[in-house]
Amino acid sequence: MTLTEKIISLYPELNVLDFIKPDRTIVLQNDGAGDYIAKWEHPTFPRPTDEELA
Amino acid sequence: MASIITATVASGLTQSADNSGVLQLASGTGNLVTVPSVTGTAMVSGNMPAFSAFGNVSYSITTGVDTKVRFETERFDTANCFDSTTNYRFTPNVAGYYQINYIGRFQATSPTIAYVMLYKNGSMYIVGNQIMGIASGTNFDLPASDLVYMNGTTDYLEVYINVGGTSILVNDNGTTTFVSSFSGYLARAA
Repeated sequence: MTLTEKIISLYPELNVLDFIKPDRTIVLQNDGAGDYIAKWEHPTFPRPTDEELA
Repeated sequence: MASIITATVASGLTQSADNSGVLQLASGTGNLVTVPSVTGTAMVSGNMPAFSAFGNVSYSITTGVDTKVRFETERFDTANCFDSTTNYRFTPNVAGYYQINYIGRFQATSPTIAYVMLYKNGSMYIVGNQIMGIASGTNFDLPASDLVYMNGTTDYLEVYINVGGTSILVNDNGTTTFVSSFSGYLARAA
């Protein structure tokens, strides 16, 4: 399961566009060493813990 | 009128002076260059970095993730400022304003939207281009360009892409013409 899928499984109200659209509050990033959360400023949902994403 | 320093075959270096406050240099007869009355760095080919690189090895990325585009092949890199092996980034060694051009090439199954972005020093600098309504399974190019100030020491640029869809592939295997590309040159020194 990808990082995007894991986050959406935790918060089904989110969809992939929430990680792409220009006014996004969540930025997922990959610099070459794997996907990670680069920014999490969602007004409602707390940032998932490492355990939740494991 | 001007004060003129001239290199000649017959007499070597000659000079003539007046009180115009204008300085001209000449190689031979009639080849005058007026030195601008401004403060700055003279730009010649040797101190104007230029590079061009492309990526033609495809790799999978995750939907919804800003992912760095890889450019493994250099067409040229005049000042050895582009890293085509590890970080795929441009770190110019002369401060100034750089014209930057880039293309993100990708394909996906059921793509919804795609962005190509320029990152400066690890953070998004600008969304260069976006597209919606893309055909499934078809290679697509997202071109963009910008003029960016770089400090000539630590500033660096990278290209990222983010695609909505499944089975996303960035770059196009094998071709040297339909490629993701990244190029730039110093347009004006600082």
